[in-house]
Amino acid sequence: MLPSENLPLEMMVKPKNKRLSLLVVVSIILVAAVGLMLVAFEDNLIFFNTPTDIVEKEIEADRRFRLGGLVEEESVRRDDDGLTTRFRVTDLTHTVEVSFRGILPDLFREGQGVVAEGKLNAAGVFIASEVLAKHDENYIPENVAEALKKSGQWRGAGE
Amino acid sequence: MAPFFQVVRRDLRLALRQGGSGTLVVIFFVLTVTLFPLGIGPEPMILARIASGVIWVAALLAAMLSLDRLFQADFEDGSLELLALSPMSLEMTVLAKTIAHWLTTGVPLIIASPLLALLLGFDSGGYGVLLLAMVLGTPALSFVGGIGAALTVSIRRGGVLVSLLVLPLYIPILIFGVSAVEASVTGLGARPQLLILAALFLFSGVLAPIASAAALRLNLE
Amino acid sequence: MSLHKFANPARFVRLSSPLLPWLWISTALLLGVGLVLALFVAPADYQQGESVRIMYVHVPAAWMSMFVYSVMAVASAVALVWRHPLADLTAKASAPIGAAFTVLALATGSLWGQPMWGTWWVWDARLTSVLVLLFLYLGYMALWQAFDDPQKAGRATAVLTLVGAINVPIIKFSVDWWNTLHQPATVSSLSGPSLPASMLIPLLLMAVGFMTFFSALLIIRIQREIIARKIRTLQMLQANPEAAAVTAASAEPS
Repeated sequence: MLPSENLPLEMMVKPKNKRLSLLVVVSIILVAAVGLMLVAFEDNLIFFNTPTDIVEKEIEADRRFRLGGLVEEESVRRDDDGLTTRFRVTDLTHTVEVSFRGILPDLFREGQGVVAEGKLNAAGVFIASEVLAKHDENYIPENVAEALKKSGQWRGAGE
Repeated sequence: MAPFFQVVRRDLRLALRQGGSGTLVVIFFVLTVTLFPLGIGPEPMILARIASGVIWVAALLAAMLSLDRLFQADFEDGSLELLALSPMSLEMTVLAKTIAHWLTTGVPLIIASPLLALLLGFDSGGYGVLLLAMVLGTPALSFVGGIGAALTVSIRRGGVLVSLLVLPLYIPILIFGVSAVEASVTGLGARPQLLILAALFLFSGVLAPIASAAALRLNLE
Repeated sequence: MSLHKFANPARFVRLSSPLLPWLWISTALLLGVGLVLALFVAPADYQQGESVRIMYVHVPAAWMSMFVYSVMAVASAVALVWRHPLADLTAKASAPIGAAFTVLALATGSLWGQPMWGTWWVWDARLTSVLVLLFLYLGYMALWQAFDDPQKAGRATAVLTLVGAINVPIIKFSVDWWNTLHQPATVSSLSGPSLPASMLIPLLLMAVGFMTFFSALLIIRIQREIIARKIRTLQMLQANPEAAAVTAASAEPS
């Protein structure tokens, strides 16, 4: 059952050459794998789609996906029921109308990045079931931000 | 190269003689997937949405459960020690044994997966990518799982331990496997995910046999 | 081999013990001053308000979770290649500390995420890869427990650690490679830290404090492990003098 009796002999011919060629094969495969990774990362793996993606990829209605972008300035409106919020998400090329029923996170404000999960309805409005606020890597003390705004040197996002 | 294929052939023959353990893996796979419609409810919309995830998770578990066959039996009856002493490097032996393992467990999983996708009412546009992702992903499952199997080969009742070691390492394969299928169904294009799966396959195919062989060596001492 | 001098467990105990009080004192000072600055002196953020103070614990804990794993990976490589007895011990002693830092980072991140992002948890690349890191720590500890022979356990866990080390760069760069919800690096970004000194100083104090805390714990745990192995050897010697002589020789090369 064990064919190990006829395993050896031919393997013993040139162990040094064999090692070297093995090493070459291994490194070629590793380089190929790294190459594949790099090509893949050029395509940009996504956590969310931008409004431009929606236009370009023609995402159909009733498909769940995540929408990411900036909340457009002066676009946030609250409905009379006090729960539903409507706003527009933009990537500065295209914008999408979003409607969300629920409590918004603290960081949600105009000009701020958001990621919303939900689907487009027939009218092309994105019905979000969840809205997440994306925070950027900048930390600025409250009073400094106030002062900057007053002196007109403010370059940050939002109010 | 002849000894390499002899090891592959030997493992295949052993797997076939032991009464089609590949069939057992497939039965486990099908049963696990069947549990989901029963547990979640047969609503076609929900099932179609989670189909790719369910199939991947079940395939992951099936591949993991079959890992004990990879080195355990050979370790216990001493043939692994003989294989380690043969002039072929232990790394190549591990590679041969893993390929045989994939042929007897991974390939049946690939063949069964479109059928299960059909049962779950999976979107008809995604079959090609599902199959392709499985073809790239299941060998990686065998390779990575081999590391866990080799580490625990001398531990009695190492089953739960293997899952703790192997499942975290399976997570990337699961993520990209599922997101490839999801992306193709939502029409976003699955190219980047498939490329990464291919890269994972190549990485694991080269590096896992080295790690597994090191693990086997210390267990053989 | 000069390195071998420090690999001697007995010498390690002798050399490291005087360090301990200093490490504890600096830990107490750094964390004490750091916490006072972070909680009371540092300004509130213009967007996050007072919640920004969670950052002073969260960020150092997250750094440490990766740093400790890197320490383990280096120790594991040394253990496999040169078979230093001390390298084994370092990796083993680090694992539970690293796991604790990871839990701390995940918990504080979750507390911050609920009011700020609007969710306790999202499955984005950064959060998921840190969760995998926690599983790696747990797997490491479980694998060690499964072996009776510390020699074998040390080498098996070393192989596992090195395989899992791929995860560390993934964690680090996940925020750059993917569109994650988690924000990119603030302090170690290429353009220099984008936070003011009033926030950076408490953050760095906390980070260094965590580091000395880790060093102190690590030394204590290594010393304890050395003593435990000595006891084990002595017990084996009592039970079976001949067999134990071999183990003793391999466990403590001088």
